[in-house]
Amino acid sequence: MLAPDLAIIGGGPAGISLALALASTKLNILLLESGGPNFDPQNQKMYAGSQSGLSYIALDAGRLRFLGGSTNHWGGWCRPLDEIDFEKRDWVAHSGWPFPRKALDAYYPRAQALVEAGPWLYDKAGGSVTTLGPLLPLGDGGVYTSWFQFSKTRDSELPTYFGHRYEGELKRAPKVTPLLGANVTGIRLSANGQQVDRLDVATLTGKRFTVKPRLTVLAAGGMENARLLLVSNDVMKNGVGNQNDLVGRFFADNPIPRDVATLVSFAGPLAPYYGTNLKLANGPILQAAFAPTQAFGRAKQVAGSLTTVEQPVDLDDTGKAAVITTALALGVDASKASAYSLGCGMELSPDPERRLTLTDEKDALGLPRLKLNMRMAEKDFTLYHQTLRELGRQLLASGTGVLKINRREDWSKSMDWGNHHLGTTRMHDDPKQGVVNADGQVHGVNNLYVAGSSVFPTYGASNPTLNLIALTLRLADHLKKAVA
Amino acid sequence: MTFFKAQNPQGAPSRRTLIAGAAAASAAVVAGLYRFTDVFVKHYAPTPYDDVLVALADRQQAAKLGALVSDAPAPQALATKLRGAIKPGLAAAARADTASGRLTEVGGWVVPESVALLSALAAKV
Repeated sequence: MLAPDLAIIGGGPAGISLALALASTKLNILLLESGGPNFDPQNQKMYAGSQSGLSYIALDAGRLRFLGGSTNHWGGWCRPLDEIDFEKRDWVAHSGWPFPRKALDAYYPRAQALVEAGPWLYDKAGGSVTTLGPLLPLGDGGVYTSWFQFSKTRDSELPTYFGHRYEGELKRAPKVTPLLGANVTGIRLSANGQQVDRLDVATLTGKRFTVKPRLTVLAAGGMENARLLLVSNDVMKNGVGNQNDLVGRFFADNPIPRDVATLVSFAGPLAPYYGTNLKLANGPILQAAFAPTQAFGRAKQVAGSLTTVEQPVDLDDTGKAAVITTALALGVDASKASAYSLGCGMELSPDPERRLTLTDEKDALGLPRLKLNMRMAEKDFTLYHQTLRELGRQLLASGTGVLKINRREDWSKSMDWGNHHLGTTRMHDDPKQGVVNADGQVHGVNNLYVAGSSVFPTYGASNPTLNLIALTLRLADHLKKAVA
Repeated sequence: MTFFKAQNPQGAPSRRTLIAGAAAASAAVVAGLYRFTDVFVKHYAPTPYDDVLVALADRQQAAKLGALVSDAPAPQALATKLRGAIKPGLAAAARADTASGRLTEVGGWVVPESVALLSALAAKV
């Protein structure tokens, strides 16, 4: 039996960031990672599950079960959530975090360093790129040019795979013990249900052992966090933290329709930072996107979205007619006009019926597999249409271009997903509305915390990795105080 | 991709257009097929709405777009509405539409309402 001060379940970006953040404290930390240092098909099969409802990526395809977790296949896209993403929005049911964005501000710089995305520029990046070509003038309105930055490892190889990048640091940290191949199969509570008593752990080679930690942080990913709570149902019959039937509900991802619109720039080709990752001389890698302003979001009640330039396209005769007629009407020269398809990363509204549940099918260690019921509200797409329309309006108003919004049914044909698993152990001060409180502690269980994007109660359109790391670093500070 | 060079509909054609037009006209004259002006200037059959349609610099292109306007009123009603709307000029009307959010999606293209209506009229005559 192992008895660390802190057991971290999961060696993905949250688990690794937490271990590194606490490595210099007096805590003895055991990092339990189910996989090894590299991909293993047998281990990956543990993630297999079933689905109902809307077609979605296979449950063992959108995440990776080895050290570094899903950063082993991420694209490195980084962007902080916006203030509005944290707000309770009356027009979005179940929205709102228990704290504002500024509660994470102190942690973003360290999160940015961990993902190795260079200097913090984001929405100040516009001033750094003018030598590479002008910003597309949008004038005043509800849409503005926002910025992604990209994770990069040394030698500019995209992006930072947390396992490969930080395995050495974890092993060198005297107070941190990374244990690979260690699958937690149960979170066992004390008889009164208020404490984690022990963790059951098993390997695929047949070994089983027990861990008795003082504190436990569940950081196994947006799907597996819910699964481990649900399968641990010996004391709390509905699963740990599931006294209000919330665990596994509110699953979300960012849908990425790839061809939502065609943007025509009257003045010719867009600057290269639209549509490609562009590395600046001083290091950061950037790409521009079109985002709704927060004022527009509040006024028009639209959700978060980040619209990106995908690729140059040719126009058909009708498209050329639209461009010629519009430009002539506006008195604008469009002789060098260039057209591009637009894609988007969208925010879904929270939905309790979009959920993970357990099935009777078991994995190699006897744990019930997950089933995902996937669905999306058409309203989410209708709201995004408003944002696109506003972008079209601003292009006309500034005389810089014209926009074609593609048919909604065509968006679905080119639909992709961010593989951002969000919301299944949502954060809320009220136990009836959230699985964890504002500190990430599971309601009713004193020494159990959850880290990662599963605690996001509302999601935004930004990619979650940078944000979940900032949130995890905040949890690390809380744990430091808790054990002091 | 290159579409066209915008010009003032009331103004003189550009030098490039003149050269190209002269060359094409010469070829046509030699062939004995066209009058010079048939090549040099687009001609449309007279309509009761020419006072409105004159605002379009390229009626043929507008008609292609206008064919996609759904539920467009009859030409007479369109013309009546447009006579008021584009009185200050099409560019001013289009900018006013844009500023106040009067936009129409024509085959998905987000265009000022006045442009959509004028294009619809061009398609109907």
